[in-house]
Amino acid sequence: MKAWYDKIDAVERVSDLEAIRIAVFGKKGVLAAEFAKMKDAPNEDKAAIAKELNIHKGRLTALLTQKKEMLQLHELEAAMKAEAIDVTLYSAPSQSGSLHPVMETMDRIVEYFSSMNFAVYTGPMIEDDFHNFEALNLPKYHPARDMQDTFYFKDEMLLRTHTSPVQIRTMLQSQPPIRMIAPGAVFRRDYDLTHTPMFHQVEGLLVDEAGSVSFANLKFILEDFLHYMFGDVAVRFRPSFFPFTEPSAEVDISCIFCEGEGCRVCSKTGWLEVLGCGIVDSNVFQAVNYNNVSGYAFGLGVERFAMLIHRIGDLRSLFEGDVRLLEQFR
Amino acid sequence: MIVTKHWLNEWINLDGITIETLLQTLNSIGLEVERHEHFCVPEKIVIGKVVACEKHPDADKLSVCEVDIGTAVRQIVCGASNVREGLYVAVATAGAQMPSGLTIKPVKLRGVESDGMLCSAAEIGLTELYEGIIELDSSIGTLTLGTPLCEIACFNDDLIEIELTANRGDCLSINGICRDLCAAFNVDFRERRQQKIEDNGKGIGRFMHVDHDGIADVELRYCALELSSVRLPLLIELRLALIEAPQKNTLERLLCYATYCSGVILRAYCKAFFSKDQSSAQLRLAHNEAGFATLYGSQEWASIVGVNQNDASRCSAEEGSVVLEASYVAPEHISKLMYQNKVPADLLYYRTSRGSDSDLEFGMNIALEMLFLCSDISLYRGVLDVTLNRKKRLIVVSVDEINAFIGDTIKKSLIVQILQSLGFNMAKSSGKDFVIEVPHYRHDIVNKQDVAEEIVRLVGIDNIASKPFVFSEKNRFNSDYERYKKRQHYRHKAAYSGFFESVHFIFNARSTLERLGFTCILEAYDLLNPITATMDTLRPTLMLNLLESASLNAKSGKKSVALFEVGSVFNAQREEVLKMGFVLSGFVERDTLRNAGKPSPVDFAYVADRIASVVGAIELRPLRTAHALAHAYQGADILQNGRVIGELFKLHPTLQQEYDLLDTFMCEVDFEVLPYRLKQAVPYSKFQASYRDLSLLIPQDMAYNDVKEVIEEHAGREIVRFYPIDRYEDVSLGSDVSMTLRFVLQSDEKTLEDDDISASMHDILEALERTLGLTLR
Repeated sequence: MKAWYDKIDAVERVSDLEAIRIAVFGKKGVLAAEFAKMKDAPNEDKAAIAKELNIHKGRLTALLTQKKEMLQLHELEAAMKAEAIDVTLYSAPSQSGSLHPVMETMDRIVEYFSSMNFAVYTGPMIEDDFHNFEALNLPKYHPARDMQDTFYFKDEMLLRTHTSPVQIRTMLQSQPPIRMIAPGAVFRRDYDLTHTPMFHQVEGLLVDEAGSVSFANLKFILEDFLHYMFGDVAVRFRPSFFPFTEPSAEVDISCIFCEGEGCRVCSKTGWLEVLGCGIVDSNVFQAVNYNNVSGYAFGLGVERFAMLIHRIGDLRSLFEGDVRLLEQFR
Repeated sequence: MIVTKHWLNEWINLDGITIETLLQTLNSIGLEVERHEHFCVPEKIVIGKVVACEKHPDADKLSVCEVDIGTAVRQIVCGASNVREGLYVAVATAGAQMPSGLTIKPVKLRGVESDGMLCSAAEIGLTELYEGIIELDSSIGTLTLGTPLCEIACFNDDLIEIELTANRGDCLSINGICRDLCAAFNVDFRERRQQKIEDNGKGIGRFMHVDHDGIADVELRYCALELSSVRLPLLIELRLALIEAPQKNTLERLLCYATYCSGVILRAYCKAFFSKDQSSAQLRLAHNEAGFATLYGSQEWASIVGVNQNDASRCSAEEGSVVLEASYVAPEHISKLMYQNKVPADLLYYRTSRGSDSDLEFGMNIALEMLFLCSDISLYRGVLDVTLNRKKRLIVVSVDEINAFIGDTIKKSLIVQILQSLGFNMAKSSGKDFVIEVPHYRHDIVNKQDVAEEIVRLVGIDNIASKPFVFSEKNRFNSDYERYKKRQHYRHKAAYSGFFESVHFIFNARSTLERLGFTCILEAYDLLNPITATMDTLRPTLMLNLLESASLNAKSGKKSVALFEVGSVFNAQREEVLKMGFVLSGFVERDTLRNAGKPSPVDFAYVADRIASVVGAIELRPLRTAHALAHAYQGADILQNGRVIGELFKLHPTLQQEYDLLDTFMCEVDFEVLPYRLKQAVPYSKFQASYRDLSLLIPQDMAYNDVKEVIEEHAGREIVRFYPIDRYEDVSLGSDVSMTLRFVLQSDEKTLEDDDISASMHDILEALERTLGLTLR
């Protein structure tokens, strides 16, 4: 019997174990033969022989089971090992597409203002003189019209030069209080390193009771907004001029590149101009027939925000569909 | 508007104010500093005087000079043609580091020792003024020999360029900017060192006469003088160079300087233009046919007031009999006239249209003082004025109103102080109300808000505390926002599906569009003033821009590209329509281990799957194309819910070649009809689904859709869906092809048995045979 223990121990494949199992436990197996010999043994020895054989039977069964489990594990391990790969071969670049940095920036801006309970309004790109200029306190002979080179159509319509006409439309078709932003594409007849004939703006307008809306309110929301967009920057307001607001201001943030030290991007001033704003001029309210109201308005260029936030150097590259730029925003 | 600190300091006392404070103050009061540069002449360049000057023995063009530099007399060889004895010069002494990089040391020039260099303006880092060396004079200060130039204010100064806003015509002069700075720093103007103006005792009436009947829209002042030897002092030359004054004529340069300082429009006319012989000048003012107040001479017009001057009326020489004019016309008046009748204008018109200073006496006096300083002048006694009866604008405003605009509590005393320092008269002040009299030069101040702005400016916006606005909450969700969200939704889906978002100008070239068979905006509605020929119309499709971008990528080495855009296009009637467009070019995946570096080219099936993963399930029908972009046999109309929403096609091989692209597919769908609504769940079967494949023989020219329609009509409820999985052509099949369809069968009540499935399939086969004559392969 002893020899079988060694044989089981020496087996290397699960399939070889079955032959041994039959040789030991089968009807014609070793154990059956040993038990058969018992009938020739003296009676007083039978009990001892049977006991010994049963012990062998038990031990061999356990050994066989144990061996089988072990061999199965080994074989599984070997099978898996055969499937081994060099995972370092498969480092993978992202295959997804991306949102355009300007559009994604616009989304972030819209998200901020809608969370501040501003309504979102859009309007047509093709506008008339009234909505784009006249109603915004820009009569035809106004010197400020020089500031905006306008695309005109043959029938005297024009491509909107800002999203402000959306504010006029909103004021004309609803009643105060108004709390809105107007995101969208705008057009100026200008094309060089720092100007493109189309770009995007988000403009905001708040209209409420006369005497209720102040410059201090405008400062509050714009400071909060700029901190949301640019993080921990200093914000500076400079008095300026826009025909549709009075008082007006331009808003600067401390340069995010040099942190105010002075660099090429901020023309060594330490400040970056990012917004225009002001208290809505009474002539604008007159144009839409609003009485006893006050309000503020602001406007920003989305491309400028996107370029500053994402450190994009070339404005024109934003309109070329160049994957070398776009794939960086996956 | 360019100024220097030294120039401003001449008008107001800026001693003790650092340049940083000055720049910060200008910015905070709304005079935006566009540029600041400190400039300084290098060290060791000193004032010298040429005490002797002789020709170089061996060189025609060189002079050998003895130059007194206070501590010593140096021999210096100089090549300038204007060097002469008695001249005060800028001497670069040994060791001076010139802006060009040159270090001055004693040298021999053609055998003659030269210890130093006499410099031109450019050589010491300034703008070149004239040919030759810079000629110093007392306008820059006391000429003490040996004094380094860098210790003289105008050679060690700060250039400040101010970007003026359109409303601040009053700041287009040194006087105007100083007015604002006086208010900001709470200081007064310096006492002007008045040059004595003496007349020659002869009345102006003997010299000239002005006929101005019926003119009531301009103000004018005339002086008459005899002029000779006008010369500009160095300081004025230096400043005119800084502001890049284009005038050539010395008298006109001088008037340009006087205008720049005073803000008053000044012109000089040759007397002869107004008189036929030696008699007195006859000036006639009348409105021209366009309505502009115009000054006429004996033959023709001399000038349009505030707008332009006839060259023939100019003083050509730097001497002679001159009529000097100061003029004012209201900016809103001239702008309206100009809008109605555009006439040529000269440089002064910019000032007129933005609002020039109407203090003609001040402007004329500045000009005369300078003429007395810089020329030999004989001035006739008296002036001739054409005046307007203009009243100062009055604005009534209260402290509370001002504070409501600002949102802070500014004290009445501070408001009064600010307004008075800006030149506003407080005509009446009772309780919290003011009646404010606006000075004539502030044509931009017309209402209460304008007054509030003056306070905001001078208080400093940064000194106003921010306050949140308190409002009533309101549901501000609207259809525009819903559209914005929908756009965002599809943009995100496209990006996740591997497309890059692109943004293009909405302009295209009409000629290209027409060549490709697109319908452009009707000519009568098209752009009047396009910026370039390649962008001369609005796009009727996104596809041309996408194609051009794909081509640009291919040319830069990105042969495989997937782009999309959601953007506006315009139909023939110029109506704005929102579309979503795609371009897919090159390969279905990157070159990788999986494809052994040989990815498959994009094909129709692949592209259809990609598009459907963005826009949702689509049905395709043969394209009824109207443009030349599409491949004749690989194009489809895209349908959703039985309605055509767009097109999908392979790019025409000719264009593929023209645009330098690999296999390319394009798609454009109407964005408005894409679904954007909440999904409704329907009950689904809990029992196992079964699959059966059918291989049919169908004629080559039969569209799958014909087969599909028959199956749809005859399929039982248990057929959940079916789709083609293989299409096989072989000569053995003759004019037929083998098409394998996979059917998914499922019941709501039970797991289907083989018998149920066979019965279903039998029904379908029978219908196919009966209606289309199709059989199993």
